[in-house]
Amino acid sequence: MAHWKKLSILTLILALLAIVPLVMELGSNVMNVMVTLFIYIILAQSWNLIGGYTGQVNLGIVAFFGISAMVTHFLWKAGAPIYLAIPTGSLSSVVLAALIGLPTLRLRGMYFAVGTLALAQAAQTIVANIFTRSVSMPGSFSATYSLMPRYYLGLIMVVIAITVVYVITRTKIGLAMVAIRDDEQAAQVTGVRVFKYKVIAFLISGILAGLAGGLYAYVRLSFWQISIVFSPSWTFDALLAVVIGGAGTLAGPVIGSVFLVVISEIFANTLGQAHLILFGLLFILVVIYFPYGLIGSVDRIHQLITRVRK
Amino acid sequence: MNAVIQTILIGIVIGALYGLVGLGFGLIMGVMKFVNIAHGSFIIIGGYIAYWVFTLWGVDPFLSIPAVMFVMFFMGLILYRLVLSPLLKYPRAEMRIDKSLLVTFGVTWILDNVVTMLWTSDTRSIVTAYTGTTFNVFGARLGLTGLIGLVIAVLVAVALQLLLTRTYFGKHVRAATEDSGAASLSGVNVQRTYLISCGIAAAMAGVAGVVIVSCYSIAPSMGLSWLLTAMVVIVLAGEGNIAYMLPAGLILGLIQAISTLFISCAYQQPISLIIFILVLMFKPNGLFARGR
Amino acid sequence: MRLSSPSILRSAFRDGVIMSLLEVENVSKHFGGVMAVNNVSLTLDQGEIVGLIGPNGAGKSTLFNLISGVIKPDTGAIRFETRDITPTAPDRVCQYGIARTFQLVRPFNQLSPLQNVMVGRVYGSAPAKTMKQARHESEEILSLTGLADKKVRMAGMLGLVDRKRLEIARALATRPKLLLLDEMMTGLNLTEMAAAIALIKGIRDSGITLIVVEHVMKVIMGISDRIIVLNVGEKIADGSPRKVANNRKVIEAYLGEKPLC
Repeated sequence: MAHWKKLSILTLILALLAIVPLVMELGSNVMNVMVTLFIYIILAQSWNLIGGYTGQVNLGIVAFFGISAMVTHFLWKAGAPIYLAIPTGSLSSVVLAALIGLPTLRLRGMYFAVGTLALAQAAQTIVANIFTRSVSMPGSFSATYSLMPRYYLGLIMVVIAITVVYVITRTKIGLAMVAIRDDEQAAQVTGVRVFKYKVIAFLISGILAGLAGGLYAYVRLSFWQISIVFSPSWTFDALLAVVIGGAGTLAGPVIGSVFLVVISEIFANTLGQAHLILFGLLFILVVIYFPYGLIGSVDRIHQLITRVRK
Repeated sequence: MNAVIQTILIGIVIGALYGLVGLGFGLIMGVMKFVNIAHGSFIIIGGYIAYWVFTLWGVDPFLSIPAVMFVMFFMGLILYRLVLSPLLKYPRAEMRIDKSLLVTFGVTWILDNVVTMLWTSDTRSIVTAYTGTTFNVFGARLGLTGLIGLVIAVLVAVALQLLLTRTYFGKHVRAATEDSGAASLSGVNVQRTYLISCGIAAAMAGVAGVVIVSCYSIAPSMGLSWLLTAMVVIVLAGEGNIAYMLPAGLILGLIQAISTLFISCAYQQPISLIIFILVLMFKPNGLFARGR
Repeated sequence: MRLSSPSILRSAFRDGVIMSLLEVENVSKHFGGVMAVNNVSLTLDQGEIVGLIGPNGAGKSTLFNLISGVIKPDTGAIRFETRDITPTAPDRVCQYGIARTFQLVRPFNQLSPLQNVMVGRVYGSAPAKTMKQARHESEEILSLTGLADKKVRMAGMLGLVDRKRLEIARALATRPKLLLLDEMMTGLNLTEMAAAIALIKGIRDSGITLIVVEHVMKVIMGISDRIIVLNVGEKIADGSPRKVANNRKVIEAYLGEKPLC
């Protein structure tokens, strides 16, 4: 597909997403699903940057999502405007990312994976111990609650996240990232300062995960247990979206998130928890047999067909 | 003084368990260079099997260990056949590790959800007639279940060490660990060695689960915490150092137990994380590594 | 494959300066109980092609890893243009002007050939200022190494010969002063070998010094100005191809293998 063609399709979709809620009443159900989808897309792009492009398996991305959600929630509650609370939340994610990334990214990949997983677990435990009761925003917030601003803020954030990933992957940094993913040592003897670019990718990924967390705190006013923002299921959902859509591609996480949200809407009510197990099976199958995800597989099939035709 | 002895006793008992938890994880990592994120879930499942056998038929948990090991051994074989062996097609070791992280994370997800469906997300533990029995050791109290757990952990560690150093199979395992290509050329059936190692690792996870459900408690969500423990033990022992797992576990257990004198025991997990990071920063080859 | 004195390659050459480019001094490295490299010293002059030979396990690849900074020596020092690079990280070593290829080819498989070369152009020594410039210069290097018409999306889809060329292209893109080539002839047929020899000579003519590890004796004796022989980690001979071929120690080390020339 030509570049301009892609771009015009993208603009069209974006315009539709921006205009439709204004001209017709979608109902809170659809709006809710859309906002959830936005959160997933941002989180998936965050994972994509460090996992898909840089090849560092982050099994605890929820830690960065969660800390930002929490910081945003409490800052907002303390009276800070939401447009300050969310960036501050993101900043806290970056600090956390630096704390775990600097010691582990120097070492082999699995230490990073397990370090991030451990961080997420520890964060969940700490938060569950500190906040044993439910937390929520004051009643005045829920009285004026509307999904519209959440929807548009989410849409803007999605655009930001995708733009960030797009721009980075077209710069020098992006080139280093994919080189590191393909062969760390070869990248190093070709002059790439591997550790530096891993850290850069990880910190930017942290910012994006933080944005997703901030958006979640803005959308959800009350938590029965705030530690649920550290639940491993967020990590799994982000991984699933990226892997299914296609890791290391710009569209992959978006397609994967849409797939994920649509499928869970269909199956969550009919199958209950069993649909999560189905997701798990699907995830394993894709990792083993379709390393390039949905996009990659369609691409490959397309190539095969054209080759056969020739 | 009593409090100190008590703390050390608690540390030793739980430390031995930590060593046991690390063993199976370390075996798979050392031999196959796969990281099995599902190890924690295997432990939990082992615990639930013992719990089930106990509540359905009243079988003492420690007597059910052989049965648990048997079932878990087969789960390990299935894990290898369905999930891990397809990854051997990737030529580069880093890629295999990354893929194994991902797929076993998926396995964890599935297993944790299955366990929640089967047994709900409630916390379970086994209470037998002797659960409350304690001994007096230098004025401190040592629980009978804890003592049994300690003995079992030591027995399993010694048995694994003997298996690896004194048997033909162990020779194959060590050959495959060193250089799978060369091992396969000199007639070692590498695939089969991997398969059985995976079974043994899962069986050892099962034993750990039985000890945990008898001495402490289990819940479906605890798998990842136990995995973290296993990981810290590996990092302390140094990757692939099966012989140092138990000492490393004891060190971790003692550090945690002593820390409870100062900090709430609810924060043991963050403490493990801090230990994990400190060791990686200052002794990346493990506490027992000599020289560089 | 033709290399007609391209400006890119020649820029690395500082004419008129005669000095030893690389000095390896009493370097040792052991793995476990095995001395992979044992007290090896060697110097390299600008513009030479030095052949590095030795039976399997002689320590050739270890020496490459030591020079390129991938592993650090236990003892000894490595100097490049009088700068001590013993403790230097591989990426820095590359930026100083030492590039290498791997014995088993390791291009960035999921990147396009162009991207592979661009990594070298962007991160090597004298890096390109902009991505656009890097792209342009990389295309030039691709055509110099005969890869311009290989329109594949991923380098992993290339054949073995092309992947080897790509690795050389990537290494050249870092604008090295010294290039370490590790067994690039293995697996090539006669025509491909002739092309590879022409490429190596072209690289030298553009002013780049080379160390070439090779198993194909005829080739290495033919292209090298000087031969260094390693055996079980030790340097046993260093001299002109003719002198080395008649060296008693060398013949002993190779006893049982094919005659050298």
